[in-house]
Amino acid sequence: MEFFSLLSPEFFLLAGLGCLVGIIFGAIPGMTATMAVAVCLPLTYTLDLQEGLALLLGLYVGGISGGMVPAVLLNIPGTPSSITTTFDGHPMAQKGEAERALKVCIVASLFGGLGSAVVLFLFAPVLADFAIKFSYIEKFLIIFFALTVIASLSKNILAGIFSGLLGVLISLIGAYDTIRGGNGEYRLMADFMVPYLETGFSLLPVLIGLFGLAAIFEEAEKGLKSDTENGRVKLKRGEHFSFSVFKGQLTNLLRSTGIGTFVGMLPGIGGSAASVLAYSQQKNLSKNASQMGKGAPEGLVASESANNALTGGALIPLLSLGIPGDSTTAVLIGAFTLQGLQVGPLFIGEHLDTWYAMMTALVFANLVMFAVMFFAIRHIAKVVMVPKHILYPIIIMMCVVGAYAINYGIMFDVWTLLIFGLLGWLASKIGIEVAPLVIGFILGPSAEIYFVKSLESYGTYSIFFTKSPIAIFLWVLIIASIIFSIMMHRKKRHQSELEAN
Amino acid sequence: MQCSVFTMSQLVSSQSMSSWLDVKIDFDQSHLFFPHIIIGLLIMMAVLIMALEGRRFMSRLKLGDVSFSLFQPGADKMRFFGTLILIVVYFWSMDAVGQLFPNMGMGFLLTSIPFILMMSLLYVHKFNRRKLLSIVLNAVIAPLVVWYVLGQWFAITLP
Repeated sequence: MEFFSLLSPEFFLLAGLGCLVGIIFGAIPGMTATMAVAVCLPLTYTLDLQEGLALLLGLYVGGISGGMVPAVLLNIPGTPSSITTTFDGHPMAQKGEAERALKVCIVASLFGGLGSAVVLFLFAPVLADFAIKFSYIEKFLIIFFALTVIASLSKNILAGIFSGLLGVLISLIGAYDTIRGGNGEYRLMADFMVPYLETGFSLLPVLIGLFGLAAIFEEAEKGLKSDTENGRVKLKRGEHFSFSVFKGQLTNLLRSTGIGTFVGMLPGIGGSAASVLAYSQQKNLSKNASQMGKGAPEGLVASESANNALTGGALIPLLSLGIPGDSTTAVLIGAFTLQGLQVGPLFIGEHLDTWYAMMTALVFANLVMFAVMFFAIRHIAKVVMVPKHILYPIIIMMCVVGAYAINYGIMFDVWTLLIFGLLGWLASKIGIEVAPLVIGFILGPSAEIYFVKSLESYGTYSIFFTKSPIAIFLWVLIIASIIFSIMMHRKKRHQSELEAN
Repeated sequence: MQCSVFTMSQLVSSQSMSSWLDVKIDFDQSHLFFPHIIIGLLIMMAVLIMALEGRRFMSRLKLGDVSFSLFQPGADKMRFFGTLILIVVYFWSMDAVGQLFPNMGMGFLLTSIPFILMMSLLYVHKFNRRKLLSIVLNAVIAPLVVWYVLGQWFAITLP
């Protein structure tokens, strides 16, 4: 098989290195897995596709895992997805069990990561085979479904839909692409902008701006106060870690991994939703629910297996439908585009070797994560001490390299970085949600082509309802997601009113 | 007879239904078709948000829970605007210097060193000699390493 020839020593080295750098990014509060992938993307410009993906997948796995370190030691989630790790991790650390808590997290993370990789391996090709039969109409409905799901899981459904639509609108700026069947006319901009925005805003500078620079602006606004000065718990030799802590946790592990994978599959969610859902499920079903939140290892197991299961889950819609499952996989789309590849239903079948290489990298990155963190956790715990005044200027510099080099030296791409960095900072202030915005931006141009071309060929809107049983099934899903979100919204409002009273 | 009347009315209604849903897109204007729909939907959503959330927002505004200020209370405006200004100057000067030495990545190298130095000095708390040394070393070494590894070794385009 040609696939084995792709697995060079460099391939494994890059996956391992990516994982290590990812752990460091994840372990520093305010820096996320998405930022790690976005900032390190320029390193892949000169690598092969497989090697580049190995590096990025390593960063992804490491970045998600690293978040546990400050969660336990500082009571600050290193990445949004480790928020529930703080609930039990920090109380354990205060009892002098920081090392034990971290090792429970590491083992749970490995289980979640590998479990979701298995689901990815089995499920993505099946979904892709199914999706190959889709015409433009079903493809448009899938994007529509993705946007309703993202909006329904946003903090505020209306703001979520608004943000998604805004992302679509921004993506339409520029010429209506003739290569994809458009008429080549410019829209949504003034004439003087044509030299800069002929092909619209480039994807990667937009993403690096929203996830890299915006985070720096937020930190600068907070004054870059050191997180490590207050309440840092050092690793002391407390109660020793033993695998017996996992006795009776298999159901928890499996359920949380399942929840994490499933949430990862839903487009654009990712982040904290997976671990929060898994944690609250465990709390509802646990016999020792009263201990959760006070330092119960089972809480860590639920949280960490779920957030690592996100990785495999989020890759499922990316590789089978071309729709990113979370913000980090959205940046991965950029890496594929860079290599001239389009991810979608045909990807796995046409690039079987790359698919196997990706699976290998994912599994290997999980193993490296386990080995590095389990045996060197004492050294990694020191990463939270890296001063931000040294780190952040370097990150801005790396963002510039990534944005400038993406189209081989366009200065406007660097300014795009700043525009979207400021937009990302502003977004959280005015209630715009970044995840739906990004997914809307990525899927907007495809949605336009699928929608307009379908109408041009059939001449009626009714075709979206009557084309095939799949179309009807997708409408059922769309309506169900909207009803679900309205119900959830009402429940939340009811709860907050009760609390207020 | 009854049966045929029923079929006729059904036919008429399905025809009017389909004509209502029919659409013809002029290719010359097709670039505006989808953007107009999206803009229409955005306006609809904005109106809906104002109608549903407006009153609650106004009452929270009166209570002082929310405000129109973009900055959170106690925001470090010096560091925020300092960052913004330094970034603008960095981007602008990088291009200007880069044009003096085309295709060498000098615009990047020569402007990144002072940029990183200034940023670190802006961000640092509790200044001392040891910190100053680490800041200066970092400002010189980091851009040099990136310029050499990415620009020279990997041949990545730099300004």
